[in-house]
Amino acid sequence: MTSTLPSRRLILAGALAAAAMPAATMPVRAVAAPAGRRRFGVTLHPYYSYVANIVGDAAEVVPIIPAGFNPHAYEPRPEDIQRIGGLDAIVLNGIGHDDFAGRMIAASAKPSLPVVESNADVPLLPAAGTAARAAGKVVNPHSFLSITNSVLQVSTIARELGRLDPDNAAAYAANARAYARRLRQLRADALAKLATAGTASLRVATIHGAYDYLLREFGLEVSAVVEPAHGIEPSPAQLAETIATMRKLDVQVIFSELNFPSAYVETIRRETGIRLYAFSHIAHGDYAPDLFEREMARNLDTLVLAMVEAAP
Amino acid sequence: MHHQIVRRAGAERETLWVALAAGAILVSAALAVGLRAVPEADAPLAAHLIDSRTGLTAAEQGLYADLKAAGEEIAALREAEGRAPTPEELAAEALPPFAADPSAAARGGHAWTFAGPFAETGDGIAYAGVSAAPELAGSLVLRLDGHGADIWLKRAAEAPPAPPEDAALAAAGWKRIVSTFTAGVTR
Repeated sequence: MTSTLPSRRLILAGALAAAAMPAATMPVRAVAAPAGRRRFGVTLHPYYSYVANIVGDAAEVVPIIPAGFNPHAYEPRPEDIQRIGGLDAIVLNGIGHDDFAGRMIAASAKPSLPVVESNADVPLLPAAGTAARAAGKVVNPHSFLSITNSVLQVSTIARELGRLDPDNAAAYAANARAYARRLRQLRADALAKLATAGTASLRVATIHGAYDYLLREFGLEVSAVVEPAHGIEPSPAQLAETIATMRKLDVQVIFSELNFPSAYVETIRRETGIRLYAFSHIAHGDYAPDLFEREMARNLDTLVLAMVEAAP
Repeated sequence: MHHQIVRRAGAERETLWVALAAGAILVSAALAVGLRAVPEADAPLAAHLIDSRTGLTAAEQGLYADLKAAGEEIAALREAEGRAPTPEELAAEALPPFAADPSAAARGGHAWTFAGPFAETGDGIAYAGVSAAPELAGSLVLRLDGHGADIWLKRAAEAPPAPPEDAALAAAGWKRIVSTFTAGVTR
């Protein structure tokens, strides 16, 4: 009898120690990770594709927002903040599309987590539509919806991750260059299709002011942006004004957004008779290394189709 | 005889104190606003510089981004092959803006040539793109050295001076394009 007591105590102590183990080892694991495979966090879908293609198998890419959340309306959740504690660095858009990340990092177990500013070398454009204020101080955060600016970001990310992970720096640089070549080929393929159409000019309106970077690559300029802010539908008065503006500017096509269908867009199309095409914002679906290439190829096809159909 | 002065009913004292308190708040608010540092106005750019965000046309903005990306690829090609690639080789690689595609035509139809080495920063090389439509996008020069790339613009169908050194370019009316990083305003 007496001999069982110490053993029971032992079992109890063992059970408590086992229960306490995950909590005790968690920070140790987070610190120990850099010795092995690094863990790099991302906030948005395109950045997952960029970083996954740069690091290959040499590191793990961790989306801090679960797939299915709209980054335009995302509110940080405790479990997402917790995920930051296990990262070695985080790759940010940093110019307005993932501003929530800074507050999440500050509240996490790693407030001094290294941050890679992907857009550090990108020539930023002013925000479009009514978001354009403060004389260009507010920038258009959609630099990822463009081939050239994605190439610039991929190069910056590879360089910065290489600094944080010197053993793999050469591999990151080589992977980034190969990825950049594939991205450039997407654009070259689209332009080859356009060559037969014989035109490259188009008067464009967009629903969401997200596509300036992409359109600049084709020499196109946005004449009008409809939505006052993303997801905010214009008032009837604003809508009437927009329709009048589009008629005055003789807009030929409107670019809408695939995953944010809006009833008023149909009103604009009906009233003006202008052709409507939908781009992907690359903010939906599962995170995948090839997501950016797939969606951008589709966007480029849409743009080429719009330009071909608008050709006289 | 006992005299007692009874104040007439009224709120003069309270009104006075409230007025004084309101006055103190107004004065302190005026002081706080007045003493607060005025945000520094952006220093105007030097005459030989132009801002990519506010000073360029849409076509020039697209070309500038392409040239920045091309600069990195050219540097990598140069390192791999030990020589600077020609504009024809870059066009064959489908590297914008050197590739002769519909986008090049829509953005000024630049004719790209090798503008030769320039000595200012050691082993610098330069590419010049003379615009066929300066009203859409001016002529451009991409210069590369061991430290990176810089890009110059002139709104004329004009080749840059040879060699394209800083002083010669600035004297001929060329402007170096500069861009700044601006973090999200709600960060």
